[in-house]
Amino acid sequence: METLCPCWVGEHPAEPKPDRVIYLVRGEKKTRSPLSQLYFCRYCSELRSLECVSHEVDSHYCPSCLENMPSAEAKLKKNRCANCFDCPCCMHTLSTRATNIPAPMPDDPTKTTMKKAYYLACGFCRWTSRDVGMADKSVASGGWQEPENPHTQRINKLIEYYQQLAQRERQERDRKKMARRRQCMPMAFSQHTIHVVEKYGLGTRLQRQRAGAPLSSLAGLTLKEGEDQKEIIIEPAQALDEVEPLPEDCYTRPINLPEVTTLRQRLLQPDFQPSGASQLHPKHKHLLMKRSLRCRKCEHNLSKPEFNPTSIKFKIQLVAVSYIPEVRIMSIPNLRYMKESQVLLTLTNPVENLTHVTLVACEEGDPEDVNSTAKVMVPTKELVLAGKDAAADYDELAEPQDFQDDPDVVAFRKSNKIGFFIKVVPQKEGDTDVLVSFKIRHDFRNLAAPIRPNEEAGDATTEAIWLTHHVELSLGPLAP
Amino acid sequence: GREKVQSTYSVKIAAGAVVCVESEIRGDVTIGPRTVVHPKARIIAEAGPIVIGEGNLIEEQALIINSYPENITPDSEGVEPKTMTIGINNVFEVGCVSQALKIGDNNVIESKADVGRNVILTSGCIIGAFCQVNTCEVIPDNTVLYGSGCLRRVQTERPQPQTLQLDFLMKILPNYHHLKKTVKASQNPS
Repeated sequence: METLCPCWVGEHPAEPKPDRVIYLVRGEKKTRSPLSQLYFCRYCSELRSLECVSHEVDSHYCPSCLENMPSAEAKLKKNRCANCFDCPCCMHTLSTRATNIPAPMPDDPTKTTMKKAYYLACGFCRWTSRDVGMADKSVASGGWQEPENPHTQRINKLIEYYQQLAQRERQERDRKKMARRRQCMPMAFSQHTIHVVEKYGLGTRLQRQRAGAPLSSLAGLTLKEGEDQKEIIIEPAQALDEVEPLPEDCYTRPINLPEVTTLRQRLLQPDFQPSGASQLHPKHKHLLMKRSLRCRKCEHNLSKPEFNPTSIKFKIQLVAVSYIPEVRIMSIPNLRYMKESQVLLTLTNPVENLTHVTLVACEEGDPEDVNSTAKVMVPTKELVLAGKDAAADYDELAEPQDFQDDPDVVAFRKSNKIGFFIKVVPQKEGDTDVLVSFKIRHDFRNLAAPIRPNEEAGDATTEAIWLTHHVELSLGPLAP
Repeated sequence: GREKVQSTYSVKIAAGAVVCVESEIRGDVTIGPRTVVHPKARIIAEAGPIVIGEGNLIEEQALIINSYPENITPDSEGVEPKTMTIGINNVFEVGCVSQALKIGDNNVIESKADVGRNVILTSGCIIGAFCQVNTCEVIPDNTVLYGSGCLRRVQTERPQPQTLQLDFLMKILPNYHHLKKTVKASQNPS
């Protein structure tokens, strides 16, 4: 099942399914997302979404050969893998295949021996490197070269010139700032200058400086004042009056459709942008990166993946689903305008200890309650959720705890999950989805080591704090 | 015209073909030499005979069917039985469905592809996995259809005949399966 975060802007697939249960994140920007896409900072005791955390690159790796690469090396190779290629036709990964060709023996030209020749082939669209005229290589890997961009020299010169310009601008700005302020705040400097310099892609070195580094170390990396620097002069681009004319048969020549490249194929090779399929050369595969997330307020890491690209585990994984009780919709009856119906929801407790949950309907004029189209009556009594017991499936002799549930409110109870009813009265007629919202208030214990709950945490903070979250449920359209 | 009862036809399997007994072959079907038919493959000649050439590879759960077009019932008059011809060195991968009346040589119909009745495959065509082709056209030589939108491109060379695979199968399959008896192709029905 595919879920789209509402804050994602990009190409939308055919029919994005609406997220059914969303939680409100009270950050700088109020975002609403399903709980599975949120993080929970247990130091601030608040929900965080991808928009209110800072993203940092951990490592680069190739998705097909899983080769790790430090960031500096990745930048040198323009974020591409050295060994793997992408099919220029369908963007799949190319595989190397071998054939046996007869080749004359080095000693005796008259006799032939079978030698292995390698070529690249795509398993999906059956493109081969022979289609564009690339000769078979005698080595399995490392023999394939991307064609050289004819404008490389000019581009490199331009980049050097602009980097120099950026350095100069940054130095002037820093000089001005230093003169103005007595107490220089290094944090303000570094962050600002890093942003400026990033404009022209300068400086992995500068980026690596953490906020708070003194300014002198920055200056040390670049030019010292007064040092002679080779002035880079570039010739300005010249505008030409005459343009190459179109070929004469431009309008009359019949199009050979298989030969015309699609826009996507063309733009993936910005160097050449060939219009003919016989000039589509394979490109090296783009690297992917592993990123770690950091809370902007308390600077603690929220998500830190393992360094090894073959491992999908996390060193630090403070995801919301492992701390906040999750509300899920179990069954929705036919909803009718202005008629009260009962909706069955489930509430799951992710932590090991007992949790008390109270649901509160939103008040009139609640600024967070903007989308709801129905009135909701939530159970007034406090709901108690049992702790998550990992061994519950295997321990058949465990006595079920007696919670004395009100059968009008609690439909069923199963280890750390309960099903409960809410009453919904749709207030709006028409085609819009019925949306209800309420607040969920639960107690949260900030354990010292939440991964090992059985440890005797005698003096650890076991005092509970009460957290309130705003939850919105989308119950689908009214019954016809 | 004459009324022919389907059940009186027998399958004519040439010598050198390997046809497993678990495959289902119904109707007037001729299978050429060096063709391998896996178990659970189905070749059904409902609305006319099927002639399969040599060196073909028909994998499990492939369905080659010469069926009646949708709007014609089996009993209506004036329906000429059309022969489905399949050339040499074709590959019908697992689970594909082929109803095309005319298939040339060296084609590959990949897994779970669906080729309709009005398609004519020439030579060297590759119908990609899960592609459904139900247009009414002749697919030119060396065309590859791939992707969910059945995108097309033209290859420069035809796909290689699966000789290695065929040799291996012809050696190994008889060790594990009983084979249908080869029957010499009968004289033209009078």
